[in-house]
Amino acid sequence: MAADPFDSALDLLRRLNPKHTSEHLNAIISLAPDLTEDLLSSVDQPLTVKRCKQTGRDYLLCDYNRDGDSYRSPWSNQFDPPLDEGGVGGVGPGGSEGAGEGAIPNERVRKMEVKANEAFDIYRELYYEGGVSSVYLWNLDDGFAGVVLVKKAATPGTNTEGVWDSIHVFEAIERGRTTHYKLTSTVILSLSTNVEGTVGDMDLSGNMTRQVEQDLPVENDDSHIANVGRLVEDMELKMRNLLQDVYFGKAKDVVGDLRSVGSLSEGARERETQRELIGSMKR
Amino acid sequence: MSHIETISSFVKGAPPGELADVVADIKALTASEPNVVDELAPAFEKYNEEQFITLKLPGSSQPVLISPHNSLGGGRYYDVESSSSFEVDHLSQKASAVQSYVLEGAQTDLVKSTLKSLGTYVKEHFPNAALGAYPVESDSKVAIVIVANKYSPNNFWNGRWRSVYTFDPSSGNLEGQIMVDVHYYEDGNVRLLTNKAVSASIPSGTGAGIVKEIASTEKKYQEDLNKSFVSLSEGAFKGLRRQLPVTRQKIEWERVTGYRLGQDIGGGSSKR
Repeated sequence: MAADPFDSALDLLRRLNPKHTSEHLNAIISLAPDLTEDLLSSVDQPLTVKRCKQTGRDYLLCDYNRDGDSYRSPWSNQFDPPLDEGGVGGVGPGGSEGAGEGAIPNERVRKMEVKANEAFDIYRELYYEGGVSSVYLWNLDDGFAGVVLVKKAATPGTNTEGVWDSIHVFEAIERGRTTHYKLTSTVILSLSTNVEGTVGDMDLSGNMTRQVEQDLPVENDDSHIANVGRLVEDMELKMRNLLQDVYFGKAKDVVGDLRSVGSLSEGARERETQRELIGSMKR
Repeated sequence: MSHIETISSFVKGAPPGELADVVADIKALTASEPNVVDELAPAFEKYNEEQFITLKLPGSSQPVLISPHNSLGGGRYYDVESSSSFEVDHLSQKASAVQSYVLEGAQTDLVKSTLKSLGTYVKEHFPNAALGAYPVESDSKVAIVIVANKYSPNNFWNGRWRSVYTFDPSSGNLEGQIMVDVHYYEDGNVRLLTNKAVSASIPSGTGAGIVKEIASTEKKYQEDLNKSFVSLSEGAFKGLRRQLPVTRQKIEWERVTGYRLGQDIGGGSSKR
């Protein structure tokens, strides 16, 4: 049986150089236009920054605050460029069709969105000491959903560059006093250095995704922000450790598996001597 | 970009040891055009030559590599050590139709002495590698190639080390490139790609002299690369996101919504 084209597209994106995911994504879409919508909503790409015309503050663009070519600022709740007449988003007053069609949350959820943006702005400053963050929420039939975005770029040395993109998509299914949260988090991390004379060109780029689900008690709408905040904070700590292990531990180990700095025969002799020594101590 | 150009770029980008997986994905994405893979022959040939793909000759356990430097044209390549030439199926990466091939010409002695020293060096530092040395540029120079692979698809990682050098006996100059490619893809996609240009002068002009220089160059490169992992981790990575806020405490979210930045938000006893 032939493989499913959507799964194959995702598999291909998991293999090709993650530094150029957006280009690969466009190339795959040109081959299989039927997959456009599904791929755009399930493949995470590096975030772009835009300045809010009303407030002068930067915000992040993604599929969840987009309507056609316009994007909604979380600070002003306005689309830029403005939507056409009658376009209070592409969704009806219920606003329960999900995001991506210019959905703007209803009054209650927009209130939470404003608070969440303030809370994660503080979070961003404490953990990232710079960068840009944005939170977008939208209504669901049995709760609400949202995305927490953070982007930070750094150039610590003249020859070194780093970019971090966090994309946390969550659903909050409200069940009376508890809410079921489902969080899918992706971090896109790109690091590169170019030092002539020593290491030359070195590029370490990629993305990792993790999921978590949890039931948490809720007293009021502020509890949702605290719950999501804690889930995202724990997840980012976990993912930062994971990225550290893979980027600087695993990758370096594989290089060491390809080529040994020391002599292989000497290493083998030393191990043999050690085995004999341990053997003689046991006797 | 045309269809074939687009698909060829996927072939070119296939990570070490994953060409077959990439081809399977391409087939699934182009199911309506079942002949598309046949049109990719030039892309496979280019990939195999650029990546120094290794294969085993029928009846031999020693891997041989293919590169632009040992191509005889028409899909045939030669190996100096086994004095043979062979045909390569670029899609299946299999060798066949082995024939005797005896190297002749001005650089033959230097090629053979280089191979001898290179074999010793590679054995001491690469657990799984193939190597080659070939006369190039109308028998005026010698090309030297090393490729080491380690594939662990069950653990979602694969890696490749490539180095390629050209020695010019008339000037005594050695120029080359070292490239490392590591792919890790468990619940993600992480890639290390490096490229380092190197050059040196080898007055002795002997095979042993060339390999001695390559050995010390590659040792220094690997040490520099290891240092770079540390400096990227300590520098760029740390500079992007802290492990914990300055207060060394997680955020008290219940209080965050009521507090503004610059106030007491980073935990219970935040003395800055």
